[in-house]
Amino acid sequence: MAKLERPLIVFVGQPNSGKSTLFNAIAGHKAQTSNFPGTTVSHTHSEVYINGLILRIVDLPGTYSLNPADPAEKAALVHLFQEPPNLIVNVVDASLLGRSLELTLELLELEQPLILALNMIDLAEKKGIKINPKKLEALLGVPVVATVANRGRGIKELLSCSLACLQRNQCRPKAPRWNPDVEKYIHSLAEAIPDDFCMVANRRFTAIKLIEAGDTFCHEILGEFKPELKRKVEETRYKLESLRHLPAYEVLAAERHHLALKLFETVAKVERGRKIGLEEKLDSILMHPVLGYPVLLLIFSFFFFFIFALGNPLEQFLLKPWSWLQSWSHHQAWPPVFLALIDGLIQGLGGGLAIVLPYFLPLLFLMSLLEDLGYLARAGFLLDSLMHRIGLHGKSVAPFILGFGCNVPAIMGTRILESPRDRFLTSLLIPFIPCSARTAVILAIIAFFLGPWWAMGFYFFQLLVVALVGSILSFFLKEPSPGLILEIPSLKIPSLKIVFSKIICELRSFIQFAWPILIAGSLVLSLLQLVGADLWINRALSPLVKGALGLPSSLGVTLIFGFLRKELSLLMMLQALGIDYQALPEVLSRSQLIVFTAFISLFIPCLSTVVIIWKEISQRAALFSMLLNLSVATVVALILRLIL
Amino acid sequence: MAGRIVRLTEAPQGVPLRMIDVLGGHGVRRRLMALGFHPGDLIERNSDALFGGPVLVKNLTGGSSVALGRGIAQKIIVEILDGQT
Repeated sequence: MAKLERPLIVFVGQPNSGKSTLFNAIAGHKAQTSNFPGTTVSHTHSEVYINGLILRIVDLPGTYSLNPADPAEKAALVHLFQEPPNLIVNVVDASLLGRSLELTLELLELEQPLILALNMIDLAEKKGIKINPKKLEALLGVPVVATVANRGRGIKELLSCSLACLQRNQCRPKAPRWNPDVEKYIHSLAEAIPDDFCMVANRRFTAIKLIEAGDTFCHEILGEFKPELKRKVEETRYKLESLRHLPAYEVLAAERHHLALKLFETVAKVERGRKIGLEEKLDSILMHPVLGYPVLLLIFSFFFFFIFALGNPLEQFLLKPWSWLQSWSHHQAWPPVFLALIDGLIQGLGGGLAIVLPYFLPLLFLMSLLEDLGYLARAGFLLDSLMHRIGLHGKSVAPFILGFGCNVPAIMGTRILESPRDRFLTSLLIPFIPCSARTAVILAIIAFFLGPWWAMGFYFFQLLVVALVGSILSFFLKEPSPGLILEIPSLKIPSLKIVFSKIICELRSFIQFAWPILIAGSLVLSLLQLVGADLWINRALSPLVKGALGLPSSLGVTLIFGFLRKELSLLMMLQALGIDYQALPEVLSRSQLIVFTAFISLFIPCLSTVVIIWKEISQRAALFSMLLNLSVATVVALILRLIL
Repeated sequence: MAGRIVRLTEAPQGVPLRMIDVLGGHGVRRRLMALGFHPGDLIERNSDALFGGPVLVKNLTGGSSVALGRGIAQKIIVEILDGQT
């Protein structure tokens, strides 16, 4: 038995094949999952201790093939080649076996130990596809394990199979062979590769990549360092092209395609002519060219009212003990510093628990429900033409919708966009989408004091701002978008277990990161007020706050805090005005409430969003985004002030 | 007998079509192939979004569905196979 030091297992598969769900089933809830192709945009890793062995497992972004097209796919490949894994687990959507096998065949070309996880086998059966895993195993020469990751089925078998492969150093496949006439040319190119050439995986695989990779990057370098090899590559391409009258890379793709289809036909039986399932009926309504739109509107209105209907009474209920505590503390003869700190603590603790969480939790719940159902891609289909108006296409819809939860993963999600220009534009627009923190502010101010319809109107108004800013920006960023190619995943019944573990994961991060900031912010503001430093900040910001927006200048300091967390400005607002939450309408008029909320929610992306734009796109984009938000917020607030 | 050959945007809905060719550049061709749409495959046009929105296409061979923007759908040449398969 070979001795293994922390062997590395990577999960590779096409987008939406359930890699992350499988990963989570093994490693606990760590990776983001949803029923949308391309949710995992960077890799997640974890260590699992099994039978005295520590396994390092990595969940890679989905990739359709080993010829990457978008940044997320590139990330997958870089990882795959940087540190060759001890074992590849190729996760395959069994209901799309024919197509998925093309990537499998490509992975087999690596001739590295591999296991095939035949995931969503239940869905395949529902679709009338009966697969014989034993037969597939025999034909591919690697173990095949049937799994249903979201129900936890087949996980144990997959793990014990992986262990067996690792310990016995087995499961190493032989690359599948293509038609002899094609194979002949590849062989001759493989033989011509000099020994000192940086080989990827093996000779044959390197030869294939030289043919396929096209003129992307290595071709020019190749010409400089290995002119003979470059000539040989070109000659091989030419021969392949004249063989099939197709571009060379397509000749290879077609070879894989035919092999995959042949495999599929041998191992799977498809029952045709079965009756239309519930899913297809549902889909024909969801994606109906006319009915789809009212349904979309209905879903989002329901979304909104559900959050409000649940959050509002909960908020009122939870606020009571805190406001009681606060008024009690004010009647105590405590030293001023102590009182200020207690005050800040109550504001921070109570605000997080009573004002933010009641709206945050239902939003998370609905969001993950929609994601797992597979609705995001359908919304992308319906909204594509609308998105064209703002210079984007339907693929940007998913990051946008994710933005309603939190802008940070939404900006990460732009990695699924192929064109850098689309990524840039989408990332600039996402900070205008009201995220859960801002939804909490909108609901807690607008809906709570002015009623749900006002809040609904406010929400739509904000989407209008997104559309307007989008069309203005795309006017300056004129570059044809490559057009929409978006996979529509099958509808799936969301697993409540997964939805809840997602919520718990988010809740944990709220308690770990956001809540401490809320509490610290409240404490700092209390102390600032105690020493009178808030007056300085307010005075400096007064031209904007009082002059332009027509708000009490004591709100100036809240803007500074709003940069840290959007919810913070809500808590700060109460603290800065020195009033109870319920007393807010007595101090601010209706139009002031709206202007304040609009400005707070638009004026700057929160700190984490700025950081992620900086990291994902560029420093310039982050600075531009801040400037853009500030100017848009000012203009919007001015207009609102004038018309209200 | 071979059926009529048209662009995907001109093909009728709910009828089996054979994908003949993609007139697009390498990027589009590669992308479509990666998603399991190869010349020669049987496909079906399922639904169109409003206002010149995308076309929903299902691959009858592989079982996957994709939404294709009009610009891309226009570049796909198909053969109409009604009443033959």
